Amino acid sequence: MVRAVGDLKIKLATVQNKMKPPTLTYKQKNLIWIWIFLLPTVVSFLAFYLWPIITLFYSSFTKWDGANPQVFIGFKNYITLFFNTPAFKVAMKNLALWVGLAATVHVAFSTLIALYLYRKPFGGRFVRIIYMVPNIIAPAAWGMIYYFFYQQDIGIVNTVIRWFIPDYAVPWLYQSPNAMIAVILTWIFYGVVGSLIVLGDLMAIPPELHEAARIDGASDWQITTRINLPLCRISIGTNMLLSINARIIMYELILFTTKGGPQTDTWSLPFILTGAIRNNQFGFANTVGVVMFLLGVAALLIINKVMRTSESVY
Amino acid sequence: MKNSSNLASRIIMYLVLGFVVIISAFPIIWIIVSSFKTNSEILSGPFTLPSSFSLDGYIKAWQIAQFPIIYKNSFIIAILSTAISLVIFSLAAYVIAKYNFKGKNVLYSLFVLTLLVPSMARVQPIMRLIFALHLYDTKTALVLVYSTMGMATCLFVLRGTFMSIPTEFSEAARVEGTGFLRTFFLINLPLAKTGMATSGTLLFLGNWNEYYYAMMLTSKVSSRTVPFAITMFNGQFSFSYPGMFAALTLAMLPALVVYAIFQEQVAASLVASGIKG
Repeated sequence: MVRAVGDLKIKLATVQNKMKPPTLTYKQKNLIWIWIFLLPTVVSFLAFYLWPIITLFYSSFTKWDGANPQVFIGFKNYITLFFNTPAFKVAMKNLALWVGLAATVHVAFSTLIALYLYRKPFGGRFVRIIYMVPNIIAPAAWGMIYYFFYQQDIGIVNTVIRWFIPDYAVPWLYQSPNAMIAVILTWIFYGVVGSLIVLGDLMAIPPELHEAARIDGASDWQITTRINLPLCRISIGTNMLLSINARIIMYELILFTTKGGPQTDTWSLPFILTGAIRNNQFGFANTVGVVMFLLGVAALLIINKVMRTSESVY
Repeated sequence: MKNSSNLASRIIMYLVLGFVVIISAFPIIWIIVSSFKTNSEILSGPFTLPSSFSLDGYIKAWQIAQFPIIYKNSFIIAILSTAISLVIFSLAAYVIAKYNFKGKNVLYSLFVLTLLVPSMARVQPIMRLIFALHLYDTKTALVLVYSTMGMATCLFVLRGTFMSIPTEFSEAARVEGTGFLRTFFLINLPLAKTGMATSGTLLFLGNWNEYYYAMMLTSKVSSRTVPFAITMFNGQFSFSYPGMFAALTLAMLPALVVYAIFQEQVAASLVASGIKG
């Protein structure tokens, strides 16, 4: 049978060859089309990803202002950044605080919402739809909305506090530590993407598991903490990673609320990067870019290890 | 005993969900409602309703922030780059999903790994490229940059879509002598509508909302996009809150409309953009 099919194929091939004297076989023709289809993506990968990334790493070891020739200076940019840039210490300290909050409060809150939505509460769909809205607004616009929230005269925050403390008047964006709290409040409770990812994992849990647990007398709390949460390990890990990455690149939410102030109290790494580009310190700017990239990779590796995200759950 | 604790936990649940709704909806409603107030009404208290629908804010925003120009810019840039992305990434995702060729896995991994590099980190080299092409401060520059921006997510979503289309269709077409191009355009592409809509909405929202590259690559009004423009005019609005709030409302409106229409796609695309990691 197999032989017969093989013979048939050979016959067919010879027939085809006789019919048209092709210069290219069907497969070769396809291969050309395949590469034509890939070409635009490959070109944009080379021009907007690979080459920029190579430039990023290479130029971080150079002194480069765009006007004078690029000079190789070894690790000097890194040494300047780590030891002689006070703003870098502030930005890293802020990042540590944000990452700590992101991995705990932010992720826990969005997971809690996922657990609630999983219980199919009245109006759950409505909550899901509304919770998404802050995510589709431009971060720049969102930052500006919060800027008005914190205003002394027209703002919401001071007005609400004045219901309880009549004389309350704090310039939230212009003094520490209020400025830092103001920045954190622009993102800490907004985690709809994380909620939806965890919810997806919750929905995938086979109902038999819950039935079996209930027969064994498990309470709702036990089912949540012993079955549901451990089974959502991977999505919670993903959620953490997303949140941490968002902190590394946080810029607009700060720029349009505190402008990084007071002084440099609420600076993030993108502030240093952007400032260096504006001062034509391209090598130095790209050093910051490399640090941002490496921090993201480190977060990925650590979360992979801690949450065992590469191992299968079931 | 069990019932009362159950009731308490339900009450807490609804309180938390209510909190979520308030913090998500209130900021936007506040801005929209305030945009119809007069300046003195805004100054008299943030929770009052406008006494009459004053359109002064919108008139100011339309003129001072030059909305006719920046709306046009933003729409051209966002729509054009979304369309370009969809074309180039659907072509690539299709062959990656449906054909075997040398280097396929390496190529796909490289494309998806680009996700690890924050887009901000690439800004200086890309600025240099834009300068070298003499495209600084043009809409073309932003279209170029934006149309490559969603590469990893787009390929991930579209590859999945094309893989889920049964190969039998393409096989049947091949037996009937349908060529490579027709197999793609007439058989596979029409079946990939869902994936295209999902990545299309994600791309459009991303392009519409993008601020950082717009700030770095443009300066003239004639090439400014909405998010960048409204922040630039913050100072000029300092004595007109309704103007600023109207400008913010106008800036958010297209994204809100897209969300209202493509709600499911937006949810799906945001989840997809998270999972690829």
